[in-house]
Amino acid sequence: MSERDHVIEVSHLERTFGAFRAVDDVSFHVERGEIFGYLGANGAGKSTTIRMLSGLLAPSGGKAIVAGFDVGKEPDEVKASIGYMSQKFSLYTDLTVSQNFDFFGGIYGLPRKEVKRRIAELSESLDLKPLLGEITGSLGGGLRQRVALASALLHQPEIVFLDEPTAGVDPVSRRSFWALIRGLASAGTTVFVTTHYMDEAEYCARIGMMVAGRLVALDTPAALKKTWVPGRMLAVAAEGEPDKTKAAAALRQTEAQMKALPGVISVEAFGAGLHVRFHDGEVSEAQLRQAAETSEIAVDLRPVEATLEHVFLAAADAGSEARIRKDQGFGESATSNSSNEATP
Amino acid sequence: MSAPAASLRRILAIAHKEVLHVVRDPRSLYLALGMPVVLLILFGFGVSFDMDHLPLAVLDEDGSDASRSFAAHVFASGELERVEVEGLDAAHSTLAFERREAIGVLIIPRGFADDLSRGRALSVQLLLDGVDPNTAVQALGKAETLVRSAGLSVLRERTGASNPIVLPIETRVRTWFNPQARSALFIVPGLAAYILALVSVLLTSLTLAREMEQGSMQQLFATPVARPEIVMGKLLPYLGLGAVAVLLVLTAGAWIFDVPFRGDWVALSVASLIFLIGMLGQGLLVSIVARTQMVATQLATMTSMLPSLLLSGFLFPIENMPLPLRVLSNIVPARYYIHALRGILLRGNGFPEIGGDLSALTIFAVVVLALGTARFPRTLA
Repeated sequence: MSERDHVIEVSHLERTFGAFRAVDDVSFHVERGEIFGYLGANGAGKSTTIRMLSGLLAPSGGKAIVAGFDVGKEPDEVKASIGYMSQKFSLYTDLTVSQNFDFFGGIYGLPRKEVKRRIAELSESLDLKPLLGEITGSLGGGLRQRVALASALLHQPEIVFLDEPTAGVDPVSRRSFWALIRGLASAGTTVFVTTHYMDEAEYCARIGMMVAGRLVALDTPAALKKTWVPGRMLAVAAEGEPDKTKAAAALRQTEAQMKALPGVISVEAFGAGLHVRFHDGEVSEAQLRQAAETSEIAVDLRPVEATLEHVFLAAADAGSEARIRKDQGFGESATSNSSNEATP
Repeated sequence: MSAPAASLRRILAIAHKEVLHVVRDPRSLYLALGMPVVLLILFGFGVSFDMDHLPLAVLDEDGSDASRSFAAHVFASGELERVEVEGLDAAHSTLAFERREAIGVLIIPRGFADDLSRGRALSVQLLLDGVDPNTAVQALGKAETLVRSAGLSVLRERTGASNPIVLPIETRVRTWFNPQARSALFIVPGLAAYILALVSVLLTSLTLAREMEQGSMQQLFATPVARPEIVMGKLLPYLGLGAVAVLLVLTAGAWIFDVPFRGDWVALSVASLIFLIGMLGQGLLVSIVARTQMVATQLATMTSMLPSLLLSGFLFPIENMPLPLRVLSNIVPARYYIHALRGILLRGNGFPEIGGDLSALTIFAVVVLALGTARFPRTLA
């Protein structure tokens, strides 16, 4: 990939609100046609980043080039070449779907004819034709999101920013919404999306993880799992034991046994059972099975794959630890000395 | 795609959407067109400074033919209405006020007939209820005139018409422009300004606050639309609505209250337009400060209603205000609009006479719009 294909190029981006450092020295790039996921807990700086990249908020430091324009210096050019859809449903609920489209088409300065052509195109590809005459407020959450997406695409932007587009939408609608997003990306539109749903994050080509204003991880979902959740994982379940109290006691015993073994990284409650993560070379599956069998009841062990949720939790832990160390003035390079203010 | 064309399309898109909102929810239409007419009728009929039939009691201590004749003359015109208050006597003269049966008591003293026949100076006493000073002052004015002419009449009856009474000096009054001194002629122009101020500030601040509250403003900020374009697109439809409201109020004023139209139509239109733009600009400022519809409603009502009611010369003459309020009234646009409107409607004024008012209105409009556009948020948290 050449530099030319980086439709978003972020270097040392920073945003402070008073003493609070909402986005702290963030650098990354996004390639053309990529679905780039941006994850993080509430208040981690996701929305602040997306607002800076879409020209809504001026950076306090660093630089970001979006679609060839500097977000700090040319926010209007940035706005004209991107689509923006926020977590808050921001169409006019008292107007019909097509009136909303007309409005946003006009707002992007499109001629009437062009608006008509794009509405026809989008209502075809997003399956909105039967909705055009409906009052927007009468639509369900999933359909509304689709209408909002369409109105962010009317001016054929190079990049769309989707800030938690599926918050509060049912799983079926979420799935079909993501099908649309994948379709967009394969047609060459770059998609920058934030989400809280880890299953959705799996659809992204690459994922950035924010913790307390910093970008702590950035890679493909598979690579992230490998880096952040090393070792293998087994699911432990108490099989065929009708007495729940007995089963729970047995699992507690198993947990203690396993934790005592060298090579076991973590044992965590998961559903009705446990997830045990271990280094393959240091402890064998047979040893773990043995540890489980010391309990009175039958225990079943099955291999499981790490999910992005594990990554998210691991990264969040590591990120906040690093943050605490930094804030207390331990280690790290001189470049971060300027950012020693405590976060609220 | 040229930039001005795109800019015009953006402004029109916003204006068109605003019209759709109004059509979809006609409440603002009622507010803009219904409320002015209702207020006009309520105020026009309800607020009247013309006080006819003021209730006045008579305590006739003389009880003579002359005193009865005098009292009859006082009430002959119907401007004062004679009421009988039971138990009213010299020792209990305020009884009429306590029971709220009369606002004044006319006391004809013992010896009235005697004085009259001997040609001595006559005197009667008037007691007034000062709780409502406005009414008391009006009653005083009326009673004084009526008592004087009634006095002359009884004097003539006694001495005979052949013996003319010569007063040292007499003022002959002729009132121009509003000869019957009808309150409606005075109130309607003021009311028009008051209503327009209230409605246009309220409507604009509500429409902007609603977008800030609902998050659609945030969406607008994410598009290339410029802030002056948002402001223009938002104000255009309400300017049209306001213009219709002006016409409606003036037509209703002419039709219901016979308010004349003596002056220059063009001057009136220009003054109304500039006044409206200023009021819409004030609405813009209000919404920026308020951010929510609830606060906007209160702030809009307070900043438009109170000044245009109290500090505009609508009800209370500015000349009589204490200095700080007089100074303050200089920044109340309704003051200039009312002044211009009264001039145009009643005095038949045109551009030369209302030039000062127009300049003041223009300055206000330019300042609030510039301030509003400059303070308009670029982004919302």
